[in-house]
This record gives sequence, structure tokens and C-alpha cells, in this order.
Amino acid sequence: MAELTITRSRTRSFGRGARPGRVPLPASWMTLALWGLAIMVAGAVLLPTTYLLVRTLDAGTAAWGLVFQARTAQILGRTAWLALTVTVASAAIAVPLAWLTVRTDLPFRRLWAVLTALPLVIPSYVGAYLVVAALGPRGMVQQWLEELVGISRLPDIYGFPGALLVLTMLSYPYTLLIVRAALLRLDPALEEASRSLGYGPWTTFWRVTLPQLRPALAAGSLLVALYTLRDFGAVSIMRYNTFTRVIYIQYQSTFDRAAAAALSLVLVALSLGVLVLEVRTQRRARYHRSRGKSARARPVTRLGPWRWPALLFCATVVSVSLVLPAGVLLYWLVRGLRAGQELTPLWLATRNSVLASGAAAVATLVAALPVAVLNVRRPGRLSHLVERLTYTGFALPGVVIALALVFFGARYARPLYQTLPMLIFAYVILFLPQAVGAVRASLLQVHPSLEETARSLGRRPWQVFTTITMPLVWPGAAAGMGLVFLTTMKELPATLILGPLGFKTLSTLVWSAVSEAFFAQAAAPALLLILVSSVPMTLFILKEHGEET
Amino acid sequence: MNHITAVQCTRLTKFFGEIRAVENLELAVQQGEILALLGPSGCGKTTVLRLIAGFEVPDAGRVEIGGRLVSGPGVFLPPERRRVGMVFQDYALFPHMTVAENVAYGLGRGKGQAARVRDMLALVDLGDVADRLPHELSGGQQQRVALARALAPRPDVLLLDEPFSNLDAGLRKQVREEVLDILKATGTTAILVTHDQEEALFMGDRVAILNAGRLEQVGTPEEIFHHPATRFVAEFMGHTGFLPARVTADGLETELGFLPQRLPLPPGTQVDMLVRPDDLTLRPDPTGTARVERRIFQGMHHLHRVVLPSGRTVHCLTLHTEHYAPGTRVRVELTPGHALTCFQNGLAVGAEEDEHHVPNAAATAVMWPEYSR
Amino acid sequence: MSRHIAKVMFAVLGWLLVACASAAQPTPQAAPADEAQGAAEPVRQVEGATPQTLTIYSGRSENLVGPIIEQFREASGIDVQVRWGKTAELAATLLEEGANSPADIFFAQDPGGLGAVAGMLAPLPEDILERVDPRFRDPEGRWVGISGRARVIVYNTERVRPEDLPDDLWGFTDPTWKGRIGWAPTNASFQTMVTAMRVAWGEEKTRQWLEGILANEPKVYEKNTPIVAAAGAGEIDVGFVNHYYLYRFLQEEGESFPARNYFLPGGGPGSLVMVAGAGVLESSANKEAAYKFLRFMLSPVAQQYFATQTFEYPLVEGVRTHRELPPLSELNVIQINLADLADLQGTVRLLSEVGALP
Repeated sequence: MAELTITRSRTRSFGRGARPGRVPLPASWMTLALWGLAIMVAGAVLLPTTYLLVRTLDAGTAAWGLVFQARTAQILGRTAWLALTVTVASAAIAVPLAWLTVRTDLPFRRLWAVLTALPLVIPSYVGAYLVVAALGPRGMVQQWLEELVGISRLPDIYGFPGALLVLTMLSYPYTLLIVRAALLRLDPALEEASRSLGYGPWTTFWRVTLPQLRPALAAGSLLVALYTLRDFGAVSIMRYNTFTRVIYIQYQSTFDRAAAAALSLVLVALSLGVLVLEVRTQRRARYHRSRGKSARARPVTRLGPWRWPALLFCATVVSVSLVLPAGVLLYWLVRGLRAGQELTPLWLATRNSVLASGAAAVATLVAALPVAVLNVRRPGRLSHLVERLTYTGFALPGVVIALALVFFGARYARPLYQTLPMLIFAYVILFLPQAVGAVRASLLQVHPSLEETARSLGRRPWQVFTTITMPLVWPGAAAGMGLVFLTTMKELPATLILGPLGFKTLSTLVWSAVSEAFFAQAAAPALLLILVSSVPMTLFILKEHGEET
Repeated sequence: MNHITAVQCTRLTKFFGEIRAVENLELAVQQGEILALLGPSGCGKTTVLRLIAGFEVPDAGRVEIGGRLVSGPGVFLPPERRRVGMVFQDYALFPHMTVAENVAYGLGRGKGQAARVRDMLALVDLGDVADRLPHELSGGQQQRVALARALAPRPDVLLLDEPFSNLDAGLRKQVREEVLDILKATGTTAILVTHDQEEALFMGDRVAILNAGRLEQVGTPEEIFHHPATRFVAEFMGHTGFLPARVTADGLETELGFLPQRLPLPPGTQVDMLVRPDDLTLRPDPTGTARVERRIFQGMHHLHRVVLPSGRTVHCLTLHTEHYAPGTRVRVELTPGHALTCFQNGLAVGAEEDEHHVPNAAATAVMWPEYSR
Repeated sequence: MSRHIAKVMFAVLGWLLVACASAAQPTPQAAPADEAQGAAEPVRQVEGATPQTLTIYSGRSENLVGPIIEQFREASGIDVQVRWGKTAELAATLLEEGANSPADIFFAQDPGGLGAVAGMLAPLPEDILERVDPRFRDPEGRWVGISGRARVIVYNTERVRPEDLPDDLWGFTDPTWKGRIGWAPTNASFQTMVTAMRVAWGEEKTRQWLEGILANEPKVYEKNTPIVAAAGAGEIDVGFVNHYYLYRFLQEEGESFPARNYFLPGGGPGSLVMVAGAGVLESSANKEAAYKFLRFMLSPVAQQYFATQTFEYPLVEGVRTHRELPPLSELNVIQINLADLADLQGTVRLLSEVGALP
């Protein structure tokens, strides 16, 4: 009877999602506490930038001389180019992998899902070293090929190609993990609609699935891009001059902290640029909320004969990014053992690694919660700013963060200086965005009506938080903690500078052995590092898959 | 029926930035009464509910629940201290808790808890699924869990936000009868927000119609349907057509002929007359000036869309035994059997209906008839 | 289930925080480290006397100097705690810490690192300084060399015969070396060598040498280790390195590793011997123990350790060099004071100007 009812809606519609200020209740003490914590977190993540400003201003104009020269622009360009290409290459690897392991009948899907995520646990200086050892102009692969087909020299991988290869293979799992999680949650009805409108699977993927994955793709790409900006290990071994490498050279060669600080500020500016770019892609997706699990099973695309190229693709990615490094490490280990080398016991370092990483994961989650909760539940300029600020620490080289905390710690926090809590504090600043992003994503999935219902049933805000919000956000929070755990396991510069005296982790053992060419000594802790990190990663991925199938 | 006011809103106002959500709303709900808050989407009805529940802070005005001021100048009670129950459109069942845990959530840990949960589940006839998780239930069952959960702590008022819109049509009718029975059996005071006029007429002891943040009319379903105070209400109640009419000393002149209904307006005034399909009679007449354009079969009735000589279309209802093919020449006659409501500048005209009318322009003078049955 | 995990994690965190905070009270440095190490060794508390805990910031690797520090710990009864790191980063850390530094000793890979923090170092007692040749210590007595390392050419034995190698560095500017050289312009030792060139040859000739090498399109590496690896792999024919890395490869990969060192006989800046050294922080409350440490490091036992275990040159008279190394006395070493090699800034500027550094 639509003909009879005339215009119904005369006012501008303001549906649920778009309404500004979803729960603008007067500040309860809980909200005040959240704000207090969030401001503290923001203050903490601003410490490095503050330090850089202090250092740069101390030096006066001299430090800026180094910044404002033609070469700086060139290096900036190279850095941005590397960040861009690594990000694109990561997406190009991650999206097909995510799709293959979630939406197709690819043989051994779960195995591939686990294996393709594992390269994340390899430290970049180790990864780069291993790639050179294997794929260098006269590396292991060449020697192998020489025996087979007589190739005496492989093309030079140093410089841009090497840096691109290593950084892509170590950081694409960021994109992969986030896109895969989004793909698992995606409502299949939209794709079915597209298919029913006459589009094939390929067109459907490009026109329906991929656009919906865009926020996830952007979030993953952000981590990849910032990781590339901050990385030192891979670019130094591959000899590609990024900003981070130039900053290190300042410390290393001239001990010029002011110049390093000024250059680091440029890096901060660059990361802000990346952050703004990411916001652009995300804004429109902000309120896409699903209200629960879709009841239907995920549609499975039958690959048919395409499964052979698909398998080849997965196998290639896993070979280059996981089998190759692990293989080189095993080779070193076996060679060293055959030569009668004794291995140092690793139990203590393993325990330290696991404890510090575990504590870092929990502490980072605690810091991430107020930021994410305010950002999602009280959207506004301030909460948005705080959320964005957490990312600045992620783009800075670890040594800069560590020195900033040396600066503040040695002056104002003597009793805590170079203790485990201080180190964990540094980890929180370094890896906060990984947890904030994960918690935020899963909080967006929890419809506020659940919390409101709990309030109307007589529960106080903190009770609602512990009985409703936290249990529902837990999968995302666990994922964020997992990411922090893994990246802490392989962290080096902050661990070296800020750890308690004599605090050895697997990561520091690997570094100290590799840097002095004790390869067998390096291989054992490196393999153990990969192995230990694989456990939570494997559990997480299997659980994620188990839940949805 | 006693006349204790359960919920009282006074000059309630809420803006979201520039957007007016609710303005100067006056509303009273009596104990045991079900008030249906009806309006198009975006009219502010959900905001009213959220203001009462304590999920939004009003810019001005007061809210009293059970005689307690919960929101007013300098006073704002958080939701958990208002003793309101809430049922959301999506039910908002806690997915990580069983049905029984959901229902128990609002109850203290006291001795009576288990018994109360059992009673509530028995009330909504879900005793056998107490240990299931929400996603294992059907939509109708989820609905009833949400209701049981909201009623368990014995709220002063139950707020239902589009509670049936997630159910499919067949289920919706059945569930809403069940819900009505439960609400009446427990003597629950309830405010129900809906955009479905049929649902509002079915559920509400009284219906309040909201448009762009302002109350258009409050009254019993019959009053609202038969005596819409504004053209907006008339339109919104559906099945509505308007016919221009000219006031004469003896009655009204229309395209369909003369109607002996007097209006207290000077002769010559143009008004819009509310004509529902059952107010018209259709006769086949080869010399008729009207023509059937389309026939809509509705089961019990046929609805005919008829084009008048002026090009205007009207809808006429006939019994299911009587229908005409499109193109048939017909004559349409006005046979209302009751006074038709006429509108001038969007407001109903007519002395006897005057008090039902809430003028848009003078929002402070909101009135409604003393509630009585 | 998941809530239990959360509880356990929070409990762990709480335990860590409490453990660290309480441990931090009596002995701020030693206790938390001890906690972290699983109480492997109880902290020795000496009543009334100066705390017998020595904190070392070591830019030298634990694999190299850990065992000898352990020997000192056993011999002296002093508890030694070491922060292992990279020389440059530890120097920057010391500079940021200033007078608040918990460190007593800075043990650096190279004189550059020591020079960067020289202002924070205390003058050393004469008896320590006098143990080494004046070339290998700070003229103002603030740091002292502990072990020597020579700059050498590493070459691939399958592609280069030693007799084809030039007498001094200048020879590598010859176009016959095009595409065959590996170097590490960011490496501190290399930069010290360039500083030596500037002192010995002057600015202009050094620039010409750098440009000559650049014209030969050298392969750039991050530091010495990968250069030795590359020379062994045949990726490059020759590389400018410190002498001792080769011996680790020989240890690891066996005598068949096809690379060897070539000590430039010309006596120019390519025949430089540098040191890894140490100094005592002015802010140290523990200077006596620190001096004890330096004396031990310059004792015959420790010097013998460096000679035999790390393949470095002992700096103290009467200690024998490793049998595979030509003794210092047989090398035609350039006579230059390491203290004259302080102008790193100038070297970095020059390297940047010619385009060897970013």
C-alpha cells in the first residue's frame, strides 16, 4: 500500500551509526579513569618525540644543517619508495594468501595458514643475513645451481631489491593476519548477492570482497609501512639507505645525537604522513559493525585445476620466507656441531624472552584498552588523537626509543632505570599500535547495545566492562597480545640498552653471535626463537580457523 | 484502573549538534499502561527512549520514573540506577552467556536468583533452553529471552526499541501477541518504539506520534486512527488519500460530489479531506468519468486505484467478490458514514476534535485528553 | 577458559612488577639482573666496604670477552655485571645518562667510542697506562688500549695470488681492481683507517684515494664480517677488514675456507694497528674495583687470552701472539698515535662528500 502512504521521512535521518557521540553519558569515574589512563599512555608515547625535540633544540641550528640538504630529500624519497613498494608487495602476497586459506578448497589449508604467518617471528637482521647467505651472488643457492647447471654468479641482490625482498617477506604477515581475520568475519551474503547479479567469482572478488577488506588492508598496510620506516637490520645488511640507516650512521660514526634526533624528527613527520593516509582510507569504514556471527558457513570456492598454481604460490612464499631462512640456520647449526662446537645453554635466555614478551604483551594490552575503548565508544577529536599518537612510537627506530627512555629514566626514574619494568615500558611504547589496532577492531564488532543493556540491568560501568565488554573483546585482545609477544621476542635495541644488567634473551644471543660471525652459536637461539614464537602463532591461527568453520 | 504516573517527561529536549532529535517533549505514561511511540525513522523516537533509559543526557527538561526525578537540572541518574528494563531491536543478548546467565545478569547474587530465573524462563516458556547459548536459539526465542532478562529485575518501566522488526512477518504477529500477553499478565508499564503503525495500534494502550522530534498527537489507537490531529498523523497512519474540498455554507464540495458536513470555516475556504478507501463506493458505469487503473487483490478485499477526471487518483475498497478489470469505466461516490477529517495548513479542522490537536507551531501548548477508557 | 588465561597473564605481570620493584630497593643494579638470571649467583654484599659490584658497558661481544671477564670475577671475588651492546649505542647511552650512569667501566670496540665519551672518563693511574705503548692509549690518560687489531686485506685464495696484491692501499685505486673490492664505509674501524690516511697523507690525497676506490665500483658491506664472508664466497676478490674475523670463519668452516689475510707491507695507513680499549667513568663510585679490572685485563693471563682466543694482538710486552699471526714486531706498522685519530667528524664529512656515505 505504498502508493497511499506519502512521504514519510521529512527530517534528516540520523541513524544509529552516524549519530555523533554514541554514549555521551556524563563522565562516570570509570570514564574519568579511562581518560586518565589514556592521557598517561599518550604522555608515555610522546616521550620519544619530546626527547627528540629536547636534543634537537639543544643543538640549535647546527643539527638542522644536516636535515636541510638536498641529500635528505633524496633519502626521504628512497625511504618512502621502499615503504610504498614493501607495502604494496605485502598486500599483493597477503591478500591472495588470505583468500586461498580462508575461502577455497586449497589442500592443506590450515597448514598453509600457519606456515605463511610464521615469517613474522624472524628478526629482520637475521632474515637479511640469511637471505644474503642463501641468495647472495655467491650464496648457497648459487653454489647449488653451479653444481647443477653451472651458474657462477647470481644477480646482485644488495640495495633496493634485497631490502624489498627481505622486508616484504618478514612483514607481509601483518597484512595477512589482519586481512584474514576480516575475511573470516565477512558476511557472505554480499558476495552471494554479487554472484546472483551475474558476476563471476573473479569480478565479485574485485568489486565486492576487496572493497570490504579495505579497512583491514589499510590497517595491515599501516603496520607494514611503519615497520619499514623503522627497520634497521634489513636495510643495513642490504645496504639500502633509508632514514633509519642514516640515523644509525649518525650514532655510529660521529656519535652525533643532535643530528640523529633531528633526522628522527623527520621520520616522525613521515610517519604522520602515513597515518593521515591511512585515516583517509579508514574513515568511511569506521562504523561498519557486524552484530554477531553470520549463521551461514563461508562459501568455498573450488579451485579445480587452479589449485596447482595456488599450491605453487603458497609453496614459493613459504620457501623463500620460512624454509630458506630456517634451512640456512639448520645448516649452520649442523655444520657447527659437526666441527665440534659446544652450544651454550639456552634455557635462561628462553625463559627471559618468554617472560619479558609475555609481560610486555599483557602490559601493552592494559595500555591499549583505554585508548581503544575511548576511541570506539567516545569518538571525538581527543580520543582520535590519542589513538593516532600511539603509532608514532612504531615508526621510530628502536634505538631512538631506547635512548629517549635512557634520557628520562636516568634523570627522573633512577630506581626503575634499567629494570625489567622499564624495559617492558619501552616495549609498550614500541608495540602499542599492534594491540590498539586489534582491540579496536574487535570492539567495533561489539554492538554498544550489549553494554547498554547491561547498564539498564543495574550494572555499573566497570562491572559492564569486566562482565560484558572484556569477554567479548577477548579474541581481538588475544590476537593483539600475540602480535606484541612475537615482536617483543625478536626486539633488540631496547633490550640491549634498557634491559636489566646481564639480561639475556634469545634475540640478544643471536645478535651477539651473528655480529661476530659465530654462526653455529647464532643458529641455535635463532631456531629456538622461531620455534618458541611459532607456538602461540600456531595456536592462534588454528583457533581462529576452528571457530569459524 | 488507577492513575499513578510511571514515567513523566517534561519539556524534554535533545539536540545532536545542529540536528534536533527531541524538542519540548511532554509525555506521561501511567502505571500498567503500554505506550506505543510511533514515527518514521529518524523522528527521534529512539532518542526519547534513550533519554528515559539514561543513555543520553537531555539538553533541557526532566524525566521522572516512578515519581523519582532521574534526569533534570543538576540531576542525572546513570542507567543502572533508574530501574528501567530495555529490550533492543537486536535483542543484545550476551553471546558469551547461556540463556539462564543472560536472565540472571540483572539480578543480585541473592538467594532468590535461581528461582527468579526459573520463573522468568517459565513465563516466556523457555525453561527447556536455559543452558543454550543465544546463537542456538531462533529469532522468536531470542526475543523472549531479551524480554525475560529485562523483566527479571522488576523494572519500573520496560523500554522496547523496535522489538519485533528483526522477526519475519509470520512470526512477528505471533510473538507480539505473546509479548502483549506477558506484559499484561505482569502488569508491566512499557514504552514501545516502533515505525509500524499496525504494531502501534495493536500493542499500545495509547499511541504517541512523533515527527521530527516533536509530538504530533497522543491518544488511544481509535482516536489516532479516526481523528488524526494533523495531516502528518493521517498520512502516517496509512491507507490515506486526500481530496481537495471547498467549504460552503451547507457542507463541502469535492470532485466526487457534495458532502453535507459543516466546518467552522468561512465559505470558499479550501481544505484537504482525509479519504480512506472504505469511505468510497465504486460502481461500474460505462458513462462514468473515472477509470480503474489497477486492481490490487488483498485477500479479504480488492483495492482499486481509480483515476479521476482531474487526473487525481483515489483508492477504493471492495469486497473480494466484487472487482473490476483495469480500464473499466466507473463512478466513485463518497459514502463515509462518519464525519471526514479535513485539514487546513496541515492541521485538522473541526471544533469537536480540537483538543486532540498538538499544533506544531506552538509546541509549548502540548495537550492530550485525560486518559480514560 | 580465556578469562583464566587473562588472569594468569595478569598474575604473571603483577609478579614481575613486584619482584622487580622489591628487588630494586637494596642494590639497584645487581638485584634485578640477578632476578632475571634466575639467581644463578648470589649477590655478594660486603659489609661497610665499597660495594663490590662492578658494572661494565661492553661494546665488545660476549662471545669474545665474556670468558675473560668471568675469569676476573672468579679471581677477584668482585661481582661483575655487564651490559652487552654495540659500541656506538652504548656511547650514546652513556652520554644520555650523564652523571647518573650506573656504569663503572666502558669497554669499547674502538677508540672512537671512547673518544665520544672521553669527557665522562676519569684519568687512569699511571701504573695502568704504562703497561701499554703510548700509541695505544689516550695521551690524557683517560682510556687505555686492551687488545690490538690490525687492518688487513682479506682476499679470496682461489681468485687472487698474494704476490699480485699491492704493497699499500694506494695500489687498489688501479683499474685492475675494478669490481673486485669490498669495503664497509659505515664501519668504525674503516673510518679510523681513513682518519689515519688523512693524518698520514693529508686531506687531498685521501680524497683522491677514496675517489679512486669508488671509481673501481667497490661492493659496499655493513661491516667486517660480511666482507670476510663475501671474500670467502668469491663475491669479491679483496676486502678492507680487521684481521681477526677471518680466524672465526676458519674455525667455523675449516681450513678449506678460501680466504686469507694479507698484511700490507708498505707501512702506510693501510698498515694500521688499532685497539679495543676501556676507560673508567668519572661518576663511578667504584673506581678501585674498576682499576683492578683494567689491571687484570692488562695482565699476562688476560693478554694471553686475547692472543689465543680472539686472535687479537696483545698490547703488553712479553705476551706471545697467536701462532697463525705475524707478530706485531714483524709488521711494518705505521707509527701513529691513536689519539691523533680523533677527528671522526672530519672523516665522515669527507666520506659523505665523495659519496661513500649516505
